[in-house]
Amino acid sequence: MSTKTPSAPAEAQELAKKVPRLSGSKKLFRKVEPYIWIAPSIILMAIFIVTPIVKVFQLSMSKVTRAGLVKGYNNFENFTNVLKSPAFSLVLKNTIVWTIAVVVISTVLGFMLALVLNNKFRGRKVARAIVVFPWATTLVIQASAWNFIINKDYGTLNTLLMKIGLISAPVNWTPTPGAYFAWEIACGIFVTIPFVTFCVLSGLQSIDASYYEAATVDGAGYFQKLFSITLPLVKSSLTVATVLNIIYVFNSFPIIWTMTKGDPANHTDTLVTYLYKLAFYNGKQGEASAVSVIGFLILLVCASVYMIYTLRKGDDDL
Amino acid sequence: MSQPANAVKKPVSIKKGILRLLLYFVVLDVCVITLYPYFAMLCTALKNRVEIFSGGTILPIVPLWSNFIDIWSRAPMAKYMLNSVLIAGGSTIIAMLCGIPAAYALARMKFKGQTAFLGFVIVSQMFAPVVLLIGIYQVMQKLGLTDNILGLIFINAAFNQAFTIWLLRGTFMGISAEMEQAATIDGCTRVQSMMKVLLPVAAPGIVTTLIFIFINAWNEYTVALCLISTDTFKPLTVGINTFNGYNMIEWQYLFAASIFAIIPVVILFMCIEKNLVSGLASGGVKG
Amino acid sequence: MKKFLATLLALVMVLSLAACGGDKGGDTTPPADSGNTGTTAPPADSGSGEKTAIKVIAAEYGQNTKQWWADFVTDFNSSHDNIDLTVEAVSWNDIYTVVNTRVANNDAPDILNIDVFADYVADDLLLPIQDCVSDETYAKFYDAFLEQSNIDGTIWAIPDLASARAMYYNKGILEAAGVEVPTTWDELKAACEKIKAYDSSIYPWGIDMTTDEGQAAFAYYIWNNGSDFTDASGNWTLDADANVEAIEYAIGLVKDGYTNSDPANETRYALQDLFGAGKLAMMIGPNSIPTYIADNYAKANTPAEEQIDYAFAAIPTNGSNPSVSAGVMDRFMVFDNGHSDEKIEAIKEFFDFFYEDERYSDWVLMEGFLPATSAGGEIVAAADPSMAPWVEIVGSCKFYPTAKAEWADVKQGVINVEQQALLGGNVKELLEDLQAQIAG
Repeated sequence: MSTKTPSAPAEAQELAKKVPRLSGSKKLFRKVEPYIWIAPSIILMAIFIVTPIVKVFQLSMSKVTRAGLVKGYNNFENFTNVLKSPAFSLVLKNTIVWTIAVVVISTVLGFMLALVLNNKFRGRKVARAIVVFPWATTLVIQASAWNFIINKDYGTLNTLLMKIGLISAPVNWTPTPGAYFAWEIACGIFVTIPFVTFCVLSGLQSIDASYYEAATVDGAGYFQKLFSITLPLVKSSLTVATVLNIIYVFNSFPIIWTMTKGDPANHTDTLVTYLYKLAFYNGKQGEASAVSVIGFLILLVCASVYMIYTLRKGDDDL
Repeated sequence: MSQPANAVKKPVSIKKGILRLLLYFVVLDVCVITLYPYFAMLCTALKNRVEIFSGGTILPIVPLWSNFIDIWSRAPMAKYMLNSVLIAGGSTIIAMLCGIPAAYALARMKFKGQTAFLGFVIVSQMFAPVVLLIGIYQVMQKLGLTDNILGLIFINAAFNQAFTIWLLRGTFMGISAEMEQAATIDGCTRVQSMMKVLLPVAAPGIVTTLIFIFINAWNEYTVALCLISTDTFKPLTVGINTFNGYNMIEWQYLFAASIFAIIPVVILFMCIEKNLVSGLASGGVKG
Repeated sequence: MKKFLATLLALVMVLSLAACGGDKGGDTTPPADSGNTGTTAPPADSGSGEKTAIKVIAAEYGQNTKQWWADFVTDFNSSHDNIDLTVEAVSWNDIYTVVNTRVANNDAPDILNIDVFADYVADDLLLPIQDCVSDETYAKFYDAFLEQSNIDGTIWAIPDLASARAMYYNKGILEAAGVEVPTTWDELKAACEKIKAYDSSIYPWGIDMTTDEGQAAFAYYIWNNGSDFTDASGNWTLDADANVEAIEYAIGLVKDGYTNSDPANETRYALQDLFGAGKLAMMIGPNSIPTYIADNYAKANTPAEEQIDYAFAAIPTNGSNPSVSAGVMDRFMVFDNGHSDEKIEAIKEFFDFFYEDERYSDWVLMEGFLPATSAGGEIVAAADPSMAPWVEIVGSCKFYPTAKAEWADVKQGVINVEQQALLGGNVKELLEDLQAQIAG
């Protein structure tokens, strides 16, 4: 398999080149052609994503021992155990807060930042390079750094503020689980902004300057242009970015794991960290798989709503 | 280039001046906040452990540059780095080779199951790799790809398909098909017209996608952790964890190594950014 | 534009070539350099001319572990022509993830070095350890240690090392605050109060109730209140009154502001660093702390006058209860992967080699742990006089009930109870719930 997949697109292209010349089968080819074009992608995802997903569904309905051996089906017992657990509703609430806060705030800030960076100014290249930093940094490291910065006893934030003279004694930045969670959200926003910014920037760059010139001639103001030209034209890249962001943030693991491991007592857990603990600390892989199936269903509902809304429109355009 | 903020070319210099100032103020703020963690990391990387835990200093009393040298002897950093480059580069290539044709088909052709395919692409991303670890390991074992860089390349390529396809589809759809049709009439095949006409115009979108995949693959941690057991096959993200041991977190080494991990990505981005701008200036806008 | 695209394509091609070249290095198939990738090769044990492959996963105790194992493998393989040993040292953060994933995929190591073992026994994954260790080596272990790995009359694992805990205190701070070394809980509380009055920027007492090792805190307090996880016949007694009292006492110290600010997130390692920096006056910690602090000072070239002056004493107890030290023991176990006779012999040779007295005491001293064999104990005590009292202590300390199948649940459960209590939960109710859940 390993050697086939990478060469598949080449094959597809070869086929695409040759077949049109066989005029007899041209019609059939027209029908089959699109599938040849998408085949490599489908094969890649089928092997490396769909198969593991099937496995997770199987596990979620099986009895799995602590050491990880599968011992037959157990009648959705994993699901009932998960739903019965008092921690679950807390974790679910955290997940929703986490996802909405990170996605909404980073989308707004990222969009604004993209507008700023789309201007021509001295040092723009440097500024753009700097903005990409948080994105270019592994989340584990980014989270470690923030954890270090906000530490009460030796963190650099306290040191800095004390040197400036804003505070006189070290402040405990994380007195409650809620405060810790807020810092984690801030860290999540910090690393997500560059992604949004660059999605929007790529959209902005493909807007033809003549639109703006025409609008200016018509006497449109900045905000008028923003809402009637810029927003509609970057909408497609922004919506894609947002949907993917929802999925990525919902499934984000390293930040919370590095900063609090979901402690104390699940107060900063999201579904992903919760199920990781279930699987690898508590040895309950069956229940962990059940949690991931539940998370999947939640995402599926959200994304379906989005897709029904947007794709219908997209098909009309074709 | 489109410049909404200063598209007005009339000499309203005071207003323009204030806007300019405001712009610089915002950009400066953003840069300072963004760079702060890296500043803290750099300072910490230059301190010794005792100074770190005593707190109270921002800059190191005596910069301990030896930390940056020590990490190379404490862990095979060069090997980690090479592995990361191979994994990220390989994933990017495969993701693009699979993603470009798929995005092209979605943007330029009409076929049954198009919506279903797009839906499938999105759905395929709804499980985090963390969640699928056990399943992924099983697949890799069947293919003989555990403890193998190639396995990570495929996983990263697969998990980046959604972004690749969605973004490129959007980019391709935003570009008029007329030029390609003209090329086809001139006797070009579909593949030729895509390569010669569409891809050059779509360069900015393609480059953005490239960066995205590369960075994602460069930063992947959990799957690599589980799949790779031999030290010399580990990517940087996993290798750096050597400094996050049982007895202690060696902040100074962890951060020193992290700085090495960030530099290549930033350099790469700076190179492409330059090309991105020149590419736009020469062709993108006219197209 | 064209130029840019050409550059891009060239870059892609170069990268793909590089990737292909690199992949070969990582591929398992080419025979040329398969030495590196021996770990993934299918177990080819019984072949006549073939080498017997042994796969070991070992916990990474600290910064020296990896190198120690690398040297060990070189030595072992060069003196055993017919065996191909590979050792994978995995950090404690990741080892459960790695091992469980492998076990779930029928890819268990031959030998595993970790702390838990009861789960693997419950799934019939292990071989009785006596079948896999030569009699001479088996005779070296302290009996009390072997008993810790006894389930239903069979010994399933052998100890690789141990550590014991005691209370460390900063002499300078205690003297300046006019405090004697506390031996009881009442004295401890009074001492905390005085230290806090002396300098409010110093934390008097360190507590770790994290997911990392919160069960240790639970053990320190209940054991020193004359109680335990189980009764004499081995039934769980998590909600015993003495346990409730002990945990309420510990939580009380936090609530009174006598401890580090965030016990649910500050691990023992964070506490050790605070202690070494002179910001924490007293804490319960392992015997490896002196090695750890000395290493740090040496690396930092800390001048003598800035180093802390500290010592260790028995863990304070409630009233007249005897002070109990907590012991932690890690193990080797052998997975039942359908081994041939040659393989079992090879595994025996591995253990013989590992437990050779010189090599074994070197292993133990490497990260400052305590030996689990009597010969090792003598050598270690002779080599390092400061270790001598610890070798005494480790012979008599209490261990977690790791041989009980519910231990993994209990461990997570007590940590959860502690963290809930820190947030204001009622200790008695929480422990009753846990008891009902475990015993029911």
